[in-house]
Amino acid sequence: MTEMVLKNVSKRFGGLKAVSDLDMTVPEGRILSLIGPNGAGKTTVFNMVTGVYPPTRGEIHYNGTRLNRLKSSTIVSHGIARTFQNIRLFGSMTVLENVQVGMHCRTKSGPVRALLKTPFERKEEEAITEKTMELLDFFGLADKYNEYASNLPYGDQRLLEIARANASSPKLLLLDEPAAGMNPIETEALMDLILKLRDTGLTIFLVEHDMKLVMGISEQIVVLDHGQKIAEGAPKDIQRNEKVIEAYLGSGAKAEKKAG
Amino acid sequence: MDFSAFILQQMVNALFLGSIYALIALGYTMVYGIIELINFAHGELFTAGAFIGVIVLSGLQQIGWVETHFVLTLFIVFGLAMAYVAVLGVALEHVAYRPLRNASRLSALLSALGMSIFLSNGMMLSQGVSDRAYPQVFGLESIDFFGAMISHSQVFIILLAFVLMVGLQFFVHRTRLGKAMRATAQNRTIARMLGINIDQTIRITFMIGPALGAAAGVMVGLYYGAVRFDMGFIFMIKAFAAAILGGIGSIPGAVLGGLIIGGIEVAWAAFLPSAWKDVTTFTVLILVLYLKPSGLLGESEADLRV
Amino acid sequence: MKKLALLTLSLVLALGIGTAAGKELKIGTLSPLTGPYAQDGTDIKQGVITAVDAFSPVKGFDNVEVLPGDSACDGGKATMAANKLINSGVDVVVGAYCSSATEPAQIPLMDAGVVQITPGSTAERLTHKGYDHFFRMPPRDDVQAWSTVEFLTKKQGVKTIALIDDKQTYTAGLTENIRKFAEDNGNLEIVAHEHITPGDSDFTAVLTKLKRISPDVIYMAVYQPEGSKMIQQARKLDVDATFMTEDAVFHPKFLEVAGSAAEGVYLTFAKAPETPERKAFEEMYKKKWNVDSIGSYAYYAYDAAMVALKAAEKCGCTDAETLSKTIRGTTWEGVSGEIKFDEKGDRELAHIIWVVKDNQFVPYWDPITGKDL
Repeated sequence: MTEMVLKNVSKRFGGLKAVSDLDMTVPEGRILSLIGPNGAGKTTVFNMVTGVYPPTRGEIHYNGTRLNRLKSSTIVSHGIARTFQNIRLFGSMTVLENVQVGMHCRTKSGPVRALLKTPFERKEEEAITEKTMELLDFFGLADKYNEYASNLPYGDQRLLEIARANASSPKLLLLDEPAAGMNPIETEALMDLILKLRDTGLTIFLVEHDMKLVMGISEQIVVLDHGQKIAEGAPKDIQRNEKVIEAYLGSGAKAEKKAG
Repeated sequence: MDFSAFILQQMVNALFLGSIYALIALGYTMVYGIIELINFAHGELFTAGAFIGVIVLSGLQQIGWVETHFVLTLFIVFGLAMAYVAVLGVALEHVAYRPLRNASRLSALLSALGMSIFLSNGMMLSQGVSDRAYPQVFGLESIDFFGAMISHSQVFIILLAFVLMVGLQFFVHRTRLGKAMRATAQNRTIARMLGINIDQTIRITFMIGPALGAAAGVMVGLYYGAVRFDMGFIFMIKAFAAAILGGIGSIPGAVLGGLIIGGIEVAWAAFLPSAWKDVTTFTVLILVLYLKPSGLLGESEADLRV
Repeated sequence: MKKLALLTLSLVLALGIGTAAGKELKIGTLSPLTGPYAQDGTDIKQGVITAVDAFSPVKGFDNVEVLPGDSACDGGKATMAANKLINSGVDVVVGAYCSSATEPAQIPLMDAGVVQITPGSTAERLTHKGYDHFFRMPPRDDVQAWSTVEFLTKKQGVKTIALIDDKQTYTAGLTENIRKFAEDNGNLEIVAHEHITPGDSDFTAVLTKLKRISPDVIYMAVYQPEGSKMIQQARKLDVDATFMTEDAVFHPKFLEVAGSAAEGVYLTFAKAPETPERKAFEEMYKKKWNVDSIGSYAYYAYDAAMVALKAAEKCGCTDAETLSKTIRGTTWEGVSGEIKFDEKGDRELAHIIWVVKDNQFVPYWDPITGKDL
């Protein structure tokens, strides 16, 4: 089973405990959402998993490999890719180039051979371009392949970021608030896309505020509050969980509900 | 010499000088684009290239290769000078800049200045304080091009500079490494997340930039006929001005800046009192920066741009 | 233990008395050891050291010490170096090379009562300030300019001249003098006056401009590094003019760097006497410094140090007053010819015209006699 396991993971920033003793598993081939109020530590979890910084304590394993101290660039080669809360495309590169760069870690040529352009490298380059176009097709961006990323409309930029993350042929895709800033129609399309991606065998690990999206596509949800896991389960269970409601609406909500 | 021949000659003069500035400016701009550091030792790397060139060329001249294998000789001279300085560039990055990559920019800048002084003194001690004559393998002959005299060495140097610049453009746009370099320049964190080996990319940048500078060094030696340990300084100032003028971090900007600086210098000396030549160059630089602080082709963010 | 201490003390005392009793002569050099003109500066330093080697021991002195200073052809740096030499207690300074460095360095040196002999600076006003302890080995710029104009008008019979200088004290003074003598003469018209920047490599724009004006003669008032590059570019641009230049370019390096481009260039420099002393010096210098050719200013520096050493020996003194009087009152035989200083501290030394032929400096014409050499 290629699942991601977090065991007892904590992260401190100075005196601030961003994440404490988190245990969770991202099962293969499923869509798992990590939710929680602002500042609950969701992005911190993503950053630890992708090697932006190591956890203070605890273990992160993926497919039997310990990820704790690995560099971001190495983690990618283990089949983990991510997108960012704020769009971070290479604005002055074309759509095609953005995705090609994402495919970087999958190519075989070393630096010298890549410069020399042997027939093998030539073939590899051609294969990359072909594969990139297929990917862009999948995301509906094929006709815009030669445009600068910074010239794309917002929704397309989001899609391109997901496409770029996909270029490294990951097995686990981390999406950090992919629907942020999207209108309902775009969100709808995004949900379809994520489901389509899952159907290709990809595991999706999602951080999102848009509850319609979370509840609509997640197979499992983990809820964080103040860095601690307060609930875990299927969407319908989470919706009814008292602790979750309290975390989102404050303790007053609970009292009101009881009174009602 | 009629007026049209005069103008044509001055244009050739400007193109030649500008190409040299542009090649050196590329080294500044590439390094700045990727690690946001002004590599003050770049002028010394350029000089080192010129010295390797004269050593190799003198050696090959002694065994008679200049007469028998002229093209091969030039190939070896440029190849060895560029290769040596590429290695020197990587070593410089490893010793002086890598340990300070996460330190303040001022520390890295001081380290760069220190390396500049270190290399300059090293060359003074090993190569002496006086001019070293470059074998004049191209002779003094010129081609009469509609009244403008273009020397054989100039033809060769302008063509080679053009080939190197087109080659660089091809490299950053068409190759995997070039794309990785541009991606790293735009956002190092994201590039790393996408699996780009940042260390390797920086290393490649510190190979290509200095190698181009070394090529310019050999060109200067071949055309002007002499090299000296401190010759990097004046070229460094002009090329640095070119990089800033074009927008530091921008590759086409460096080329444009080099050609403009070369053009201003020549045009001023050609039509106006030559005493004020350098003042003009820097006045134009100040004016451009006042009107467009990021340079002609630069954007507000410091990226290596297309 | 007490005995040992006593012994040590007496040894130290004896040593102290020993040095106090012996006299030391300290000669400082002031020349550009760094920067574009470091070749000439090194020649000067080596010339002085060679002289000290050749004439030691000096009677009446236990030791002669040479203290090299770096003037960097820069007024500020030269003044700093001069002060450093003064603080080290020098009696004589040989230097500086560039007039723009010699002039500011004169002030502290003259104030401190140090004898200064320049082996290279030719700007006239250096000896027009009423300094009693200042001497100059090479001929002045007005002599050089006069010789140049004489040659161009009388021997060459040319009508038009274009001047190029690098805006420094020496070069600008020289072109000013050429202008003056040309105007006095009336037969030589100055058709252009261009300027370059010291340290620059590319002079094609200025040369192209002059090519269009097409003067009979282009006069390069620059130093050797710029001169070597300029003449090559002029040949490549096919500039059809006679090229003439001066003593700062008169250096074996010019022949080495410019190569065949230097052929036919005229230069002004003092006549080289063919004496056994000069030959002996050349042999000694080449052997000592392991070189094939000798920089022109090494001769003057050697002579300057020689004069200082012999004068100190003669008067048995180091004070500037007596030393200067001795230097002025004697005629010395130097490797650069006979040395006799006038009131102002200038030598009666004239220039001759040299030409580059087969990559050698060859004597060509004497402006005083008006005869070919």
